Amino acid sequence: MSNTSDTIEAAAVEAATVDLPAHAEATGRRGLQLPNLTGFILPFIILVLWQAAATYKWIDPVFLPAPLTVMTAFWKMLTKQKLAFDFLASINIVGQAFIYGSAAALLLGIAAGLSRKVEEFFGPTFDTIRHIPGIAWLPLIVLWLGIGAPAKILVIAKSVFFPVFLNTLQGIRNVEKNYIELAKVLTLTRWQLIRKVILPAAMPSIMVSLRYAAGLAWALVVVAEGLSGLEGLGFLIFRAQGLLLTDQLLVCMVIIGLVGFAIDRSMFLAQKRVLKWKQGYDG
Amino acid sequence: MATPGHLTIRNVSKTYSLPGRPLVNVLSRVNLDVEPGAFVTIVGPSGCGKSTLLRLIIGLDDDYKGEIELNDKRIVGTALSRGIVFQDHRLLPWLTLEQNIGLSLENSGWTRAEKDLAVREHIALVSLSGFEKAYPHELSGGMAQRAAIARGLASRPEILLLDEPLGALDALTRIHLQDEIQRIWEVEGVTMILVTHDVEEAIFLSNKVVVMAAKPGRIVETLDIDLPFPRDRAAPAFVALKRRILTAMGEDGGKPTARAA
Repeated sequence: MSNTSDTIEAAAVEAATVDLPAHAEATGRRGLQLPNLTGFILPFIILVLWQAAATYKWIDPVFLPAPLTVMTAFWKMLTKQKLAFDFLASINIVGQAFIYGSAAALLLGIAAGLSRKVEEFFGPTFDTIRHIPGIAWLPLIVLWLGIGAPAKILVIAKSVFFPVFLNTLQGIRNVEKNYIELAKVLTLTRWQLIRKVILPAAMPSIMVSLRYAAGLAWALVVVAEGLSGLEGLGFLIFRAQGLLLTDQLLVCMVIIGLVGFAIDRSMFLAQKRVLKWKQGYDG
Repeated sequence: MATPGHLTIRNVSKTYSLPGRPLVNVLSRVNLDVEPGAFVTIVGPSGCGKSTLLRLIIGLDDDYKGEIELNDKRIVGTALSRGIVFQDHRLLPWLTLEQNIGLSLENSGWTRAEKDLAVREHIALVSLSGFEKAYPHELSGGMAQRAAIARGLASRPEILLLDEPLGALDALTRIHLQDEIQRIWEVEGVTMILVTHDVEEAIFLSNKVVVMAAKPGRIVETLDIDLPFPRDRAAPAFVALKRRILTAMGEDGGKPTARAA
């Protein structure tokens, strides 16, 4: 079980630290002067190139409508269609899936981390289920639960579960032996040991996996909605493709990107808050 | 104020057995009597079992022959009546200074107010007032080690064990903290046992220096140090004692500048 979890953990760490330095700079200067605009340069260049491509007809407008056309489509989708409803449908699925998946993962991860027996009991089963991708589960789950939200929540919760479960387990197993010894010297009870020593020590690993899982859940909802169901941003994207409504397709893509960005930033802030004791965490 | 403990070690032996290897005598028939309120230092080369002896006294290891008694009661497991300071400060990085010290009082049975008072007093004792809310990574090595001493003393133990507490510090900080430990020992009146490689540190702080040797781990010499406090490291009597202890420690002996390794 632990062999494969290392790679997951490494991947999760990587995913979580990618855009850390730029953000650290931005928050460090807030309130003292203008926010750091470095991160906005590239989006601006992309927007300019996009507009140029439309103006000079580098690309057929059917495949790449101008930014303004996309803005108009956004307004139309918001006022005349039910974009807000689809948006909330996606958010609802991701929110529920993340909460259920990570809550179950924390509970079982802590239990397995504290007891080898529990780990041995779940180990083989979990390692097998883990290797069947969530999307491969979807067809069967849809047969059982239908094309509504519950099937998607279940499948995404499964994808959230594993990184959090494995990192919680590993985080607990990696607690320094010295700290356990100290707890013994201070005559801490088992419950005090878990609450005051083991869980805080495992927290960095847990927080990294929660941040990674939140991003993963948002990416997966688009796929799940594209594959089944009649609502949500993922559904809109695939419908737009079928009807060649490229402007609507781009609206959905931009929203997905921005929401993903917002999810990651809020998870980062939560992580920073929980781990404020950590050296080097000057974000 | 803590009640100083009387520690008696009688005929303590410990062996390690690894499969397929001959038995290793980590400790062989160790006898030691530590008077209430005394400061005893154990010096010796690496592998002489001095840290193992501390582990037995603190109660982290019950697998030995012989008797270890504190105030005529056999030691079983760990207890708040025995405190320890490790070489690494071992403060929990997620707790503030006062929370770290408070952790040693979780099971003291004291009231909230008594705990708060003990934490405050011991932070003041090690001159860290003002750093109550600091996290360990915000403290220097010397400050962290002082905090560890405060944690070791907060539950008012009968005996405090110091396992090479200054070993990882730079020379100046070490000398400064030796003064601090000397002062704290006089103020608190608690029995202290120090394990160190540093012979000068041993003479500077102790009533009694115990020299151990390896293979098997045993006590080879016990010296009473009668020099008045505070001690002058350059005084002829101090230097003579240092030479004597180094000689007792064996191959490093006779070279006055050598620190036993």
